[in-house]
Amino acid sequence: MSQAVAPVRHVLITGNKSYHNITEDLCVPTEKSPTREWIIAFALSAAFLGLYVFAICWTVWKGIGEWGANRTINWAWDITNFVWWIGIGHAGTLISAILLLFRQRWRTGVNRAAEAMTIFAVICAGQFPIFHMGRVWLAFFIFPFPNTRGPLWTNFNSPLLWDVFAISTYFSVSLLFWYTGLVPDLATVRDRASGFRRKMYEFFSFGWTGSAKHWQRWEALSLVLAGISTPLVLSVHTIVSFDFATSVIPGWHTTIFPPYFVAGAVFSGFAMVQTLMVITRKVLKLEDYITINHIESMNKVIVLTGTIVGVAYLTELFIAWYSGYIYEQFAFYNRVFGIYWWSYFGMMFCNVVSPQLFWSRNIRRSIWWTFFLSIVVNIGMWFERFVIIATTLARDYLPSSWSYYRPTWVEISIFTGTMGLFFTLYLIFTRVAPVVAIAEVKSILKVAGDQYIGPDAKHDGHGASHGKSTEKKEAEH
Amino acid sequence: MHHDNGIWVSTEDLMREESFLQSAEKEFAIENIDQTDGKWETNRRDFLKLLGFGLGAATVAASCQIPVKKAIPYVTKPDEIVPGVANYFASSFVHGGDYCAVLVKTREGRPIKIEGNTLSGVTGGGTSARAQASVLSLYDTRRIQFAGKVSDGSVEKMEWAALDREIKSKLAAGGPVRIIANTIMSPTAKLALGEFVAKYPNTQVVSYDPVSSAALVEANKQSFGAAVVPSFKFDAADVIVSFGADFLGTWISPVEYARAYAKNRKITGKGGKMSRHYQVESHMSLTGSNADNRVMIKPSEMGAAIVALYNELAGTSGGPKVGDKAAAAIKKIAADLRNARGKSLVVSGSNNVAEQVIVNKINDILGNINTTVDFTRPSYQRQGDERALSGLIAEMNAGRVQVALVWGANPAWELPQSADFKAAFAKVPVRVSFNTVLDETTLLCNYSAPAHHQLESWGDVEPKAGYLSLIQPTIAPLFETRQAELSLLEWADSANLNRQDEQPYYQYLKSHWASDLFQGQSKYSTPAAFWDMSLHDGVYEKPAADLPSAAAFAGTVDVNAVTKPSGAELEISFYETVNIGGGQYAHNPWLQEMPDPVNRTVWGNYLNIPVESNGKDKINGWKGLEDGDQVEVEVNGQKLTCTVVRNFGQPQGTVSIALGGGREAGGCGVTYGTNVNPALKVENGFIQYYSSDVKVSDKTGVDKHFACVQHHHTLGVHSSADANHNIDEAEYFQGSLTKRSIIFQTNLKDLQELEEKMVEFHEEAEHLNSQTLYPSTDEWFKTGLKWGMYVDLNSCIGCGACQVACVSENNTPIVGKKEVARHHEMTWLRIDRYFYGDIENPKVVYQPMMCQHCDNAPCENVCPVSATTHSMEGINQMAYNRCIGTRYCANNCPYKVRRFNWLDYTTADVWPANEERVFHVEGDEKPFYADNLTRMVLNPDVTVRSRGVIEKCSFCVQRIQEGKLTAKREGRAIMDNDVRTACQTACPTGAIVFGNLNNPESEVNKKTKEAAELAYKVLEEINVRPAVSYSAKVTNTNEELFS
Repeated sequence: MSQAVAPVRHVLITGNKSYHNITEDLCVPTEKSPTREWIIAFALSAAFLGLYVFAICWTVWKGIGEWGANRTINWAWDITNFVWWIGIGHAGTLISAILLLFRQRWRTGVNRAAEAMTIFAVICAGQFPIFHMGRVWLAFFIFPFPNTRGPLWTNFNSPLLWDVFAISTYFSVSLLFWYTGLVPDLATVRDRASGFRRKMYEFFSFGWTGSAKHWQRWEALSLVLAGISTPLVLSVHTIVSFDFATSVIPGWHTTIFPPYFVAGAVFSGFAMVQTLMVITRKVLKLEDYITINHIESMNKVIVLTGTIVGVAYLTELFIAWYSGYIYEQFAFYNRVFGIYWWSYFGMMFCNVVSPQLFWSRNIRRSIWWTFFLSIVVNIGMWFERFVIIATTLARDYLPSSWSYYRPTWVEISIFTGTMGLFFTLYLIFTRVAPVVAIAEVKSILKVAGDQYIGPDAKHDGHGASHGKSTEKKEAEH
Repeated sequence: MHHDNGIWVSTEDLMREESFLQSAEKEFAIENIDQTDGKWETNRRDFLKLLGFGLGAATVAASCQIPVKKAIPYVTKPDEIVPGVANYFASSFVHGGDYCAVLVKTREGRPIKIEGNTLSGVTGGGTSARAQASVLSLYDTRRIQFAGKVSDGSVEKMEWAALDREIKSKLAAGGPVRIIANTIMSPTAKLALGEFVAKYPNTQVVSYDPVSSAALVEANKQSFGAAVVPSFKFDAADVIVSFGADFLGTWISPVEYARAYAKNRKITGKGGKMSRHYQVESHMSLTGSNADNRVMIKPSEMGAAIVALYNELAGTSGGPKVGDKAAAAIKKIAADLRNARGKSLVVSGSNNVAEQVIVNKINDILGNINTTVDFTRPSYQRQGDERALSGLIAEMNAGRVQVALVWGANPAWELPQSADFKAAFAKVPVRVSFNTVLDETTLLCNYSAPAHHQLESWGDVEPKAGYLSLIQPTIAPLFETRQAELSLLEWADSANLNRQDEQPYYQYLKSHWASDLFQGQSKYSTPAAFWDMSLHDGVYEKPAADLPSAAAFAGTVDVNAVTKPSGAELEISFYETVNIGGGQYAHNPWLQEMPDPVNRTVWGNYLNIPVESNGKDKINGWKGLEDGDQVEVEVNGQKLTCTVVRNFGQPQGTVSIALGGGREAGGCGVTYGTNVNPALKVENGFIQYYSSDVKVSDKTGVDKHFACVQHHHTLGVHSSADANHNIDEAEYFQGSLTKRSIIFQTNLKDLQELEEKMVEFHEEAEHLNSQTLYPSTDEWFKTGLKWGMYVDLNSCIGCGACQVACVSENNTPIVGKKEVARHHEMTWLRIDRYFYGDIENPKVVYQPMMCQHCDNAPCENVCPVSATTHSMEGINQMAYNRCIGTRYCANNCPYKVRRFNWLDYTTADVWPANEERVFHVEGDEKPFYADNLTRMVLNPDVTVRSRGVIEKCSFCVQRIQEGKLTAKREGRAIMDNDVRTACQTACPTGAIVFGNLNNPESEVNKKTKEAAELAYKVLEEINVRPAVSYSAKVTNTNEELFS
């Protein structure tokens, strides 16, 4: 994607890379035999995935009664996990689409992995609304399809139905966006491959040749998809927040939810990107592409969004007090000091207090701090959803129905199992596709023409296609 | 094939080629495999066809839930049975001394529901939870199915004739025979018994009641010369004082009393007259929880409290002294009583003769005898006398009893002397049981002659003098059982029994009515007409001429013969629960899963401990114990392991536990709770339901499945010292609870103030609700039918009859203790219980809570698949088939009345995946609902819900439909009586009224209007627009009582 850029920019890729170096660095992980670390990680993830499959089968076979939810707290870990995963799935699109609009070119180093993470997170999220249904075998009822039952339509007033549309749209657009970005890179891998692998990549790269026409169409499509994705980043979590905001339950019924959920989603999404990037860049030796500057930029987003959610938490408390509405007041009093007080304080500490450390430049640029805090933030965001869902339901209008919730092994297995699902997919992804967008990274290689000192220092091409043809020649030699 | 008509189909035809003719010959032939040279070739089209069909067939087969159909048509249809139309038969519920006149609803020949019989002069159409649940025990899989010898815990089948021969030969020896029974209220059964005694003159009947009132009967004999329970007229009493008698819940005739009690407590917006009820007791009973004033004493102080009142009224002194606080209160009670001479009533649940005599004297002083204490209509509901037991045990031990017949009683378990009884019983050579299940006593017998269930029997009952009612069978006997009365007549070689008749006991009963009761009346000229009318009505009232005459007090009061206060630091009381009684109802899952009204626990009995407070911000259990902790209790040397439940209103220094837990054999009550019977003591032959010799250990463990349906108990309790300071008033806990629009309550004298407050509340709610952006839906429901309900919280006593009726009517699943412990109970109607007021002696309000059928229902708009929708008649409907179980509706219900089928509770799934989790009766192979016998109780008008769907109160939509059809058939508008919900008909006090809100003449409209100033909707201000109104709770508290 060539755009008008300032002639002098910060160095986004370190290590004096040439176009060829980039291709080598990024394609090699898909070509080598897996490392021992990868195999161990994969085996572990697959084991958790197995646990997930087992726990889901158990749930479907036996019933939702295997969970700890009850007549008062009908949603608990299921929807908590759903919202959590959906939130995580926000970073990819944000990086791809919104940062694109804001011309944040550093995003090219992380957008591929972040988008992949988005897709996998949405896959994980999607498991919960499906499998929390009492009769999952009738899940197709939620689609408005022509039928002979009247016809009987879905209820377009229901936020759960909006969820179905929001999430499926988000998933398909994200998938398309991600895959579109992948096509030139898959072609690069194809060009380096032989035999069956070559055939496979040939199929998946749609016969990409790198012709000008291809690039032109590719860029147009990318732009269109970026345009579609941009509102989706805001809409998906807004609609997820409607699951709560449109209810009558005090603590759910608040107009602040849409922006608060979106900020929280970006917050948790970036934290998850950090967690993954820190590991990926180390394991795949991509420190030159995902530099400490990237990490710092994302930490800045984290401290911003973390502060936004902090403000939201305090606003909620203020409004509850200011409203003079006893149910609302009680709901928030209960959140802070009630039976689940520990989850509220966990949330406050992890989401509001801990990211403030990123005001310090040293911490912002520290790999270890970043990794640690990104995990803390994700724990905090999980608590946030738990606080909103379980704590609120546990103490609603009629004290006679108040109840307490504890998860069972099935719910714990499902949650940890979705992590297995997520990492299994992510690890497979690192093996089959370049984790950094080769074509896009090449477009930002040059900081300024005179600074480029690589072996192929000619200013005669446009990014990847040129690089590729050069590589091809080199390979032929 | 000649084409005469000149039409040809092809050139081959036209040319009449050989090959064509051949093929035309066999136009529809299918080629055999051998004709194709042994090859079966499939072409592409066939393949696709088969593939398509195969896929289609597999899809259809896999996706359709194939119902199991076992419908067999009548070969000859009985006249009175129309499939799909219910028949009602008047009958009676009788269990020992418990009585209720009922109508039995049958569908296609099987009884499925009990309704009250409004013609009854005793119960007046009210029912109890026990009566409601009795239909389930008909289909108890544990019933003994044939007569035989009992050995090794089972019955070896014998033919009845063989059994008769064997038993008659044993009886013929002429040895002493003892019949052990509970109260027998049937005149005809007594006649049969008389014939048996005449034949075997060495026979004696030993009768006792599982929970005894023997001292009351004995005291009445001493005071009035009549060994009966008088009629207590709670409706005629302006001041009621009860010394521990739980007359609304369990004491003698609670349905009758509750009905009368509520009559004098109907408060409208204009105020009104209301009796004042004082309860002196040592644990929170159902009656105490409804009382206007409660005086808490230790159990051993009961005698002293009665003496205190007596001294106050008689102007005497002497006898033991009750505590100062109680004494001061009793002084004020006495003043109130004095002002209500002849219009007051003092009752006592004590099982001490001297105490009961003093109570009689008190009533005598107050001029209540023959006004509120009526001996002209004595009750026969408690005739047992446990004093006879010690004699029986001695006789049996001495080998002086040859034959023992056990008739309905369960002496091997339900008595303090059960251990002695068992040892002695073993020495009786011939032991025969008429009991219907292999209970603790039947297991010890050597013959079982199982009686019918009442719904298979003929019989009559005289619960009160002059009030008779009939029992008629509503189904042919399910098993090879025989009525106990018939067995007795058979063994007595009765000459009055027509053995050739299909139903000999029916003839016997009928001829008794013809010869006895028919003679005493003049309304009917023939015995047949008299019988038909009596059977039709189910009840018959004797003309007054036959009745006993009024009584006069002629006893001697001995204030020193009462129980002396023990002075012990800790005392325990034992009480009967509304649901499982003294344990005789413990094998009924509906009753086991009905929460105890006061402590809200299910499946077992729990030790109630008092709560303590620092008066500021803490409410703790006594000794720091928490709900569900287990403790060791040592009572009279007997060690019991109990699970603790904290209970407001339990006096300090006392604990209490219900009877009836820990059954040892015979059904689902086994393994739940603790058997406390061995810990009871016997004084002067009377069982005492308290003890001063009790020790409670510290926590020894935790009941993992502590099953209590209500987690939070109070709506604002304050310390005794400061009525304005809510405990735990961190403003938003108790503080905000008192402000919630769930319950409105006041004292009668402050009624005006409350009404003003409510006007303000309605205005505020209206203001908030008018802020909505959406157009009002009220107009939609202004025409046609609009169903609504009114619940009078002043009449509701929390007895739970409605809840069991709802379970029965709507096939609500029973989930068992473990699932209730996980808050998975399925009841559509629950009775919320809240404490308020003084933390040490709180008041209680019960609130039946069912789907409120909101016109702006929050559940409806959140369902993604429109499985729950609003009908044009204002009913919030559930389409189970459409529900996919997202449970958002349940989350969004402000009243939390929606119930999710978490597991396969009804065993409606095709695969038996959940069987170990869903409710099993201990020892049964199949889950409770999987048995076809149990399933016979299901109401065919109501879908049995499968796992994964939400269900909830439907306003008995099947009854609405039935009512509409009736009206339509009769070509008229629908009226109130066409539709009455199950909870409404079950209620003994008429607290629930249902009907069409658009009909100004409907009862529900009238009642709501009468009480308009008190009526409110729960959570009115959240604009969900419920169809159920409640009335504010008004008590008639004597505020001076403790000041």
